[in-house]
Amino acid sequence: MILSEDKTMSEHNHHEHHVSSVGQLWAIGIALTLLTILTVGLSHVEIPAPFDVVVALTVAFVKAFLVCAFFMNLYWDTKFNSMLLIGAFAFFILMVAVTLLDTLYRNDVVPSF
Amino acid sequence: MATAEVSNKKTLKVQRFKPSDNPSNTYLTDEKGVWAWMTTVDHKKIGIMYLVAVAIFFAVGGALALLLRTELMTPAKTFIEADTYNQLFTLHGAIMVFFVLVPSIPAALGNFIMPMQLGAKDVAFPKLNLASFYIYVAGAIFTFIALAQHGLDTGWTFYTPYSTESSSSVIWVTMGVFILGFSSILTGTNFITTIHKMRAPGITWGKLPLNVWALYATSIIQVLATPVLAITVLLLTMERWLGFGIFDPALGGDPVLFQHFFWFYSHPAVYIMIVPGFGIISEVISTFSKKTVFGYWAIALSSLAIAFIGFLVWGHHMFTSGQSAVATTVFSFLTFLVGIPTGIKIFNWIATLYKGSIKMDTPMIYVFIFLFLFSIGGFTGIMLGALSVDIHLHDTYYVVAHFHYVMMGGTLIALLAGLHFWWPKMTGKLYNEKLAKIASVFIFVGFNVTFLPQFVMGAQGMPRRYYNYVDQFTAFHQTSTIGSYLLGVGFLIILYYLMHSLFKGAKSPANPWGSRGLEWQATSPPDFHNFDHTPVVIHGPYDYHQPMEEFQLGLAVDTNGHDSETAKEVVDKEREQWKNYSLG
Amino acid sequence: MSNHSQAHPAHLQHHFVDSDQQFDAAKMGMWVFIVNEILFFGGLFCAYIVFRAWYPDLFTMAATKLDTTMGAINTVVLIGSSLSVAMAIRAAQLNKTKWIKINLLITITLACVFLVIKYFEYSHKMHDGIFPGATLYTYEGIDHPLAHVFFSIYYVMTGIHAIHIIVGIGLMIWIYIRAKRNEFGSEYYTPVEMVGLYWHLVDVIWIFLFPLLYLIE
Repeated sequence: MILSEDKTMSEHNHHEHHVSSVGQLWAIGIALTLLTILTVGLSHVEIPAPFDVVVALTVAFVKAFLVCAFFMNLYWDTKFNSMLLIGAFAFFILMVAVTLLDTLYRNDVVPSF
Repeated sequence: MATAEVSNKKTLKVQRFKPSDNPSNTYLTDEKGVWAWMTTVDHKKIGIMYLVAVAIFFAVGGALALLLRTELMTPAKTFIEADTYNQLFTLHGAIMVFFVLVPSIPAALGNFIMPMQLGAKDVAFPKLNLASFYIYVAGAIFTFIALAQHGLDTGWTFYTPYSTESSSSVIWVTMGVFILGFSSILTGTNFITTIHKMRAPGITWGKLPLNVWALYATSIIQVLATPVLAITVLLLTMERWLGFGIFDPALGGDPVLFQHFFWFYSHPAVYIMIVPGFGIISEVISTFSKKTVFGYWAIALSSLAIAFIGFLVWGHHMFTSGQSAVATTVFSFLTFLVGIPTGIKIFNWIATLYKGSIKMDTPMIYVFIFLFLFSIGGFTGIMLGALSVDIHLHDTYYVVAHFHYVMMGGTLIALLAGLHFWWPKMTGKLYNEKLAKIASVFIFVGFNVTFLPQFVMGAQGMPRRYYNYVDQFTAFHQTSTIGSYLLGVGFLIILYYLMHSLFKGAKSPANPWGSRGLEWQATSPPDFHNFDHTPVVIHGPYDYHQPMEEFQLGLAVDTNGHDSETAKEVVDKEREQWKNYSLG
Repeated sequence: MSNHSQAHPAHLQHHFVDSDQQFDAAKMGMWVFIVNEILFFGGLFCAYIVFRAWYPDLFTMAATKLDTTMGAINTVVLIGSSLSVAMAIRAAQLNKTKWIKINLLITITLACVFLVIKYFEYSHKMHDGIFPGATLYTYEGIDHPLAHVFFSIYYVMTGIHAIHIIVGIGLMIWIYIRAKRNEFGSEYYTPVEMVGLYWHLVDVIWIFLFPLLYLIE
């Protein structure tokens, strides 16, 4: 009887903690590896100027999404933690965008000395 | 799951816990001795340690300021060399900004008060809290090593390329600031988690004291901005050490990029300094008006708005740096936006005073000083944000005066308000009210005599950071210097009566101001665990129209009351009962 | 939730009400810390973007000196270590202490492999005179006056990342020792989960560093 009580206890306490299956984790790992091969392969393909970076970053974002969602368990976690991640990224974009507002629009790129 | 909830409903009962005016056991009587203090993880003791450290740095920074002002008594050399002068103003700025203003309210007062306002036993990560104090100390040690070596003469902003060439000990200070940044980051991380996860039953987001809202906004800025400072000073160190070529124009770098990085932290950092001050003002103004704060949500959310907009305006420090015209225009426009949430706060505080029963005790006097000085600081900030005006006023004493009006007239005065407000809570002692009022007069008069002339001479073209000046500014500089002495006297009086209170002061009751705040429902000084029960909150922290006993509730049977869903039900039910009670 | 009838579990700190609160607080604190890290590296990425926008030619030319194969191998190594640390957390959740230890050892080994490869990359470059900073930089194979700037950025980004790897190895050794003392199980595995989150973050940062530094054509 005590044993079964313990079992319900632990089930209750961790009812929200997601346990990933082995297959799931391996699938993510393999997908990440394949995407790495893909991005290296794509780097050898001639893609016109801005789009090579776009393609490389798209693959990187997909990989990062897989890691965050399934390795870091954000998919099953409280939405607030995902919000923190997205918020941090938004502020990073903000920093870059506003800095570029200066650096891209200067008359004289770097003052010559 | 279902059965657990049912059993909780049965056992959760609240009863009144009236705080004793003569507590036998407090956090000061538990864990005595130097070693116990140094290794404590108690947020109250850590707060006190921060307070002492901040006070010491403030004394050092203040003494430097008095030396500077004394040197400026005459247009030429008065008594110190030009090189020494450069070092003195740099150290004054660096110490006051990084070691006093940034940690003063959040790390010292916030650490002490915030968990109590949440009805928590401690912050979420007590060991991390202690660690951040020692990281702060380590950062200070690095800075003092720099002092012992060649000092620092770059100004607190470390602008490249001078900071990569200066013969003073830049690397020691930047490493000190790097380390110090982590102290700030860890405090911020700790506070955000604490506010989210450690609230007592019944404290919903809508019942959070405004001080906690302000600290929440502050922590968000700390977490988002401070890492950028860390990477900036790290890159600067590398630039100086190895010649990285990112910031140094001689090596192909861009000095303006350094300014972007620096101000991406340092502009939000001024909100790290001022926003917690706003929190204190909200607490004090409501307590001493005996009235619900006007526009609770407006004040709470405007803190977050300031935190956000604060990230968009850093370029207004760089109007004359050679940044692109597009960026300059956008930054100037965005700068005006900060005025909106700040104005909302000021109006709501004024409205809180309306028809309140105002009691002019010392904390309230500082609130009025704050409202007066900070408004001047704020308006001159709008002036400086205006692009065309700033081109004229950039790097003059006008900027110096503006900065001191917001930072000293704002943050420091708010700190004084908070210190006088919570002093009885922290120490269990009362201070000499008459001396405190006299000191506040010295502070107010001294402050204005010091900094008002600086607006005038700045507008007339007196550049800042200059060792010599032309004769026409003599009268302004001398007035300013006399004012700074008055300020010094004011702070000495404060030091005297606070020390006197600490050792010989009269005993304070648990709640000398009759505040409804949760922190006042603990004993003075508080118990080691803040409350010896789990507090339950059914009213907002400023509901002065409700009887005091309804603010002193706690769980009668201590169970896992933090389970928010069940607690809310219980609290709602209790609230119904109390309604009937007070009607009858 | 009838915890009050039994003694507090050993891992529960006094200021928390129950294990769930402690776990959630720790996890949230970790995520806030990750926000810090993103902004910390964000500063470096910002410098990268600004300079790449100014001097696209420099980046195309200089990136040829980076060894894509080694970078790609390191990417896969880090992915593998992320997988093994995720397995370690799973083992903790399922009370399989032995597998916590095995998976942590795999992770530590892979982290060391990463560092060894990094060491070869660095030493190869330094052999050619490619050092961080203009003071030491002597390589003349790249025909651009600002070649040293690219490698400053390269070294500082990968260097700080490598420091994170070293810190991670230290953390995992600490977790390993605690796992050896049988401290973790389904009731309490917070430190394993936190170190796991940290390690995944280090992986994510590398996922962006790799294409941005090595794969410029």
